[in-house]
Amino acid sequence: MTFRKGQHIEVFQKSSDESWADYMDAFIGLHGVIVDPDTSINDPASLVEVSLEGKGTHRLPQDSLRVLD
Amino acid sequence: MTEPSAPNNIDQLSTAPPCPVNDTLLRIDREIAEGALSHPKSRRIADEIRELINDVAWGRAGDDHLEAIEGLVAELALDPNVEAARNLGIQVQAELNDNREVFESHVVTHNCATGACTRLAPAPCQTACPAGIDVPAYVTLIGLGRYDEAIEIIRKDNPFPWVCGLVCTRPCEYMCVRGRIDTPVSIKSMKAFAAERAFSEGRYANPPQAAPNGRKVCIVGAGPGGMTCAYYLALKGYDVTIIEAMPTAGGMMLTGIPRYRLPREVIDREVAMLEDLGVTFRFNTVFGVGVTLEELRDKEGFEAFFIAIGAQRCWDLNIPGEKEFANIKAIHFLRDMALGIRRRPGKRVVVVGGGNVAIDAARSCVRLGCETVTVAYRRSRDEMPADIEEVEQAEEEGVRFEFLTIPKAILGEDGKITGFHCLHAELVAREGGTRLSPVPVTGSDFIIDCDMVITAIGQRVDDEVYPDLKRTRRNTIEVESISMQTAKPGVFSAGDAVVGPATVVEAIGGGKRAAEGIDRYFNHIPQPKMPPVPVRRKRMGCIEIPASTKMTLKRPEMPHLSPERRKTTFQQVELGIDETAVQNEARRCLRCDICLRCGKCIAVCRDKMGIDALNLGYFDFDHPVKTDFRKIADRCIGCGACAMNCPNHAMTIKDVDGERILSLCGTVLSRQPLVHCRQCGKIMGPRRYLDYVQKRVEAVGNDIRVKRDICDNCLRKQSAVSGSEITTFPKMEK
Repeated sequence: MTFRKGQHIEVFQKSSDESWADYMDAFIGLHGVIVDPDTSINDPASLVEVSLEGKGTHRLPQDSLRVLD
Repeated sequence: MTEPSAPNNIDQLSTAPPCPVNDTLLRIDREIAEGALSHPKSRRIADEIRELINDVAWGRAGDDHLEAIEGLVAELALDPNVEAARNLGIQVQAELNDNREVFESHVVTHNCATGACTRLAPAPCQTACPAGIDVPAYVTLIGLGRYDEAIEIIRKDNPFPWVCGLVCTRPCEYMCVRGRIDTPVSIKSMKAFAAERAFSEGRYANPPQAAPNGRKVCIVGAGPGGMTCAYYLALKGYDVTIIEAMPTAGGMMLTGIPRYRLPREVIDREVAMLEDLGVTFRFNTVFGVGVTLEELRDKEGFEAFFIAIGAQRCWDLNIPGEKEFANIKAIHFLRDMALGIRRRPGKRVVVVGGGNVAIDAARSCVRLGCETVTVAYRRSRDEMPADIEEVEQAEEEGVRFEFLTIPKAILGEDGKITGFHCLHAELVAREGGTRLSPVPVTGSDFIIDCDMVITAIGQRVDDEVYPDLKRTRRNTIEVESISMQTAKPGVFSAGDAVVGPATVVEAIGGGKRAAEGIDRYFNHIPQPKMPPVPVRRKRMGCIEIPASTKMTLKRPEMPHLSPERRKTTFQQVELGIDETAVQNEARRCLRCDICLRCGKCIAVCRDKMGIDALNLGYFDFDHPVKTDFRKIADRCIGCGACAMNCPNHAMTIKDVDGERILSLCGTVLSRQPLVHCRQCGKIMGPRRYLDYVQKRVEAVGNDIRVKRDICDNCLRKQSAVSGSEITTFPKMEK
């Protein structure tokens, strides 16, 4: 599992995943917190739940996220 | 204190994303300021439009505001006198036409999604909540002991306050600004307390329901998503029927979460509230087997469908022995227990997996009397995805953990399990990536002695239910993610069926969005393209609290049932926090619905006044620094510059009972005795403020130092009586 609950992340790029919707383009560059990671099977393809500052809580593909130090 | 004239002239917030309401205000302001509207009539109309839009931006607009604005704008656009007025009218009309939903959203939700309209910027906790609950309002109500009103607020956005008070993953707390100072406000526990209290006092009510509209909606699945959708549709007057395969309602809340975390009675009580709204449940009915969508549509007259079937299928281990020997899937084990089958699965049990389901299964085994319970997980403790608290509690109850353990085979004889063959693993980064993957260590074979294996390695959506629906590559149901509409007209879906195994509050949020989508579908309204803006349900005043109390109050520790008791009973583990702790917890809230952390107060105190008293280090999301409200009093001079520059009345200053009191959202930051004029008794300000003024002006007058206990008026009178000549002070050098 790459992401863990409570980690600060950045939406650093658009994902090519089919779950990426147009409105999510506005999330790029935003910071947030992992709220519910992939809790069952550690699947890199699964969606993780993140709360983004000022933009609410969303399930995003993991390849759009990176952990902030 | 005067109200700031408009929320749109705030330099600090100019970096906020554009908001059409705020943009329109700025445009009108600019035209008026530049004097472009030379004719009195057009200037009057522009002023009136501005006032009305200002109402929208301040959350004061009513239902007829937009219509009134449009009427005035049309008048302006036809102004024969001034071309600039006509242009302004046309531009504002275009803004209204292009962004009518945004204007309406401001009126209805009392929130501005961009935060550009200062007064309507939502709090981070409310924004973070997938259900959009107005957290600051209900937390304040709880702090005031008005629990039924708090529940009333919550139930406008979430039909399951009690359930969420016990099992929510609490995104609100992760975004809680108080967490940048010490620990987040315990929002979840407060909600549980309020729900329990409201129920016990018989004050747990449904919101007002619209008259029946005669339209029938069928919901498949009585889980949190399905029942939430039913709740909102029933409130809108729809005739709702829920089809459920199980003999009771609750879905994964009931069958996936053990009673010691979420008592069944809690679910039953909240489900009963849905029945009060007229929602019909059809239990023991399997969609696609007992009844089909076509039958429901053609024979029973349902016009829309909401598929909330969850993720009920389990992944297999795909190892030798799995098919031959009777092992159990964790969610089946948990489901059977929820439905009353509480037999011990074995004496020595191994649970495979590292998520919350695995921990729930292991802890349930302990309660059923299994002699040894071992959780086998292929990664290390650090990578374990289950909640840390759950893992710690499992260890307290005697659950053993085997980390870095990869299953190889289930061993057995005569159809019975005799052992679990495993390999030790090491974590290795795959080429080109940072993700650590468990790799078996050759020759590290070992056997865990057991007579039962329970697998909890993840769930998936049942692809046999309604196979006609388009699926994603994850085999979840494909929907338009805002309206939750599937590719089939009139068929909507949300919850685990759409995103895979997720959380209760996400399912609630999805069900709520779907209800909105279904309502739009019936009324032929286009579906939204952006996520919904949460609604501000109530504007609450602040609870006054001294800075020292604000800092010393700590997040309450949740009392737990003793580990010994937990090993033998399914009694609820979390015992709940008491009323005093709940009300104190509410007082820890920073009221981020009022203080937007724009930084204007800090800037004026530091840069303009040169005082730098406001060490509010929690404003920055990424790099908060230490904050101590108590230290502000050490340097504050009580000038009030911060309060005057606060765009939202978060910072206030008032003179009460001989003291000047500076407060931030009710937190008393500074309290200083006032100095009164020796002659007339008029308030002159706190001593520190007078000293500050004196220091700033001492270079320009010789006798000011000795006269500062007299106000300006008395000083003038004194000078006049004594016949003093008015002295012209030399100009100060810059």
